[in-house]
Amino acid sequence: MKIAGTFEVDAPQDRVWDKVRDPELMVQCIPGCESIEQIDPMAYRAKVSVKVGPISARFNLVVTVLSEEAPHTVISRTSGEEGTRASVVASDNVLRLEPTATGGTRVSYEADVSMTGRLGKFGLGIFRKKADQLAEVFVGTFRDKLEVAA
Amino acid sequence: MTQILFPETLDQAVALLARHDEARPIAGGTTLVAMRNAGLVDSSHLVSLDRIPGLRGIERLADGRIRVGAMTRHADTAASDLFTGSLAVVRKAAGMIANKVVRNMGTMGGSVANADPAADYLPALACADAVLSVLGPDGAREIPILTYVQDWYETALEPGEILTAITFPAPEDAPSAYRKIARVSGDYATASCAMALTPDGQGLRVAIGACGPGPIRDVQAEAVLHGHLQDPQAVAEFAAALVAKADPVDDVRGSADYRLALIPRLIASVLSDLISAKEAA
Amino acid sequence: MAKKALFTLSLNGDQTDVAAAPDATLLETLRDGLGVLSPKRGCNQGVCGACTVLIDGVPVRSCLTLTARCEGHEISTMEGMNTDPVMEVLQRHMVASGGVQCGFCTSGMLMSARNLLAETPRPDREAVKSALSGNLCRCTGYRTIVDAICTAAEELAQ
Repeated sequence: MKIAGTFEVDAPQDRVWDKVRDPELMVQCIPGCESIEQIDPMAYRAKVSVKVGPISARFNLVVTVLSEEAPHTVISRTSGEEGTRASVVASDNVLRLEPTATGGTRVSYEADVSMTGRLGKFGLGIFRKKADQLAEVFVGTFRDKLEVAA
Repeated sequence: MTQILFPETLDQAVALLARHDEARPIAGGTTLVAMRNAGLVDSSHLVSLDRIPGLRGIERLADGRIRVGAMTRHADTAASDLFTGSLAVVRKAAGMIANKVVRNMGTMGGSVANADPAADYLPALACADAVLSVLGPDGAREIPILTYVQDWYETALEPGEILTAITFPAPEDAPSAYRKIARVSGDYATASCAMALTPDGQGLRVAIGACGPGPIRDVQAEAVLHGHLQDPQAVAEFAAALVAKADPVDDVRGSADYRLALIPRLIASVLSDLISAKEAA
Repeated sequence: MAKKALFTLSLNGDQTDVAAAPDATLLETLRDGLGVLSPKRGCNQGVCGACTVLIDGVPVRSCLTLTARCEGHEISTMEGMNTDPVMEVLQRHMVASGGVQCGFCTSGMLMSARNLLAETPRPDREAVKSALSGNLCRCTGYRTIVDAICTAAEELAQ
């Protein structure tokens, strides 16, 4: 399942770059995110819960930064499982920042997500819709945090 | 492990749901038990509505409306002779759910409460302007079907509320039909269409299923189309309005694009059948 | 270990006590608790029909039925059909027509067929197919199964 999107933030690229690597800000922006801790310079551990109708899931995720080119590209891999339950998620992610003509930043993201186990049985169609909605919530919160604090 | 509770009144059921945070009501179990078997849902308690009197059966009220108890099985709805004319769509949808044995188990209330976007009742209920009766910790209230589904599997039902009945306006003397495109008989819909003509034969009510979180209906576009059912251009514009409101998923039952392509074809085809039925009557 | 509940079930005309998980399905209780093996666990999702049993004479999926809600109702499985004259004819024609291959779907097929003949003694071929549409045969021997039910119905009508 591929998830991709682009949004603009009215804040300069260097500032956005700092913030996308700030766990304290991210935990407030990612819907359902309970905690993020940095476990080494290139890796983070996160707990995220997701609810789709009657189904609730709580994932323990590890996000590893595979490569980064400041201040414009981060390539990362997310992998995780659902505690004792039998679902495994993995995604390969690319995040790109570029300046806009008006001094803001254009953020583009792509993630290729795979899900196996009990949640895989539910079908990815509706998870994709849910992922798109969560991305929208994220963008709204992220933009508010950066623009207000600017 | 889940405890199964068997309240004998609705008030007891509401109290049990309020007492246990993770409790869920269970009706026929055809979806909930299947999801439990697949490890998709778990809950501390299931509050069975099985032994509560008065939740089963279909009756005609004094003012002609048809009231279906939430625990009425699909098989009983499919066989009921109370769903005539404009309400035949409800009976026809019931008869196309899953297979005969599952129709002996599943209930209208359970299906509506679960709000699966590809299930058969919601478009039929939307076409028929059903009203849902619910009871919860704050008392009883009614939800018009067109405001019921709010997002994927999310409805206007509040936590702790139980759907108790579905009430339909008195049937009108006008043909109605339910058509479903599915991979095989008994599957969930790839796309479906519930339609009734207005009694003057000049207009329609239509709801599309399986092409978004909830059934798609556009009452204003129906008003614009009134009087122009025989005009293919007007029907095409009407169908385009519904396509614009659709938000289908890509899944094993069909791509989003395929579903969007089905909507105008379903509308044209069911409409043509209903016009023929009206002329034959 | 999960604590078990004690259920009193009426199975094939006999009262039976059985201990099972409070949230066990009827299929689990029949097979694992009571050794009643004619209902088969195929999909466990209500799709395949191999677990079909009768409750108060009505065919249901035992995999989607909670044991707890069966107390006070009459459960019938193939094990209780040994003296049923209609079932005897159905079974004989299933064997004669080659409708039994691996046998996994057979008791579910027979349950659905028995219910069809109770409701419609002279079904046409389409009605038979429709009645069996919720029973899957992974050997795909549908034609011979439909043949068997049609010829059984003919024999029973004479």
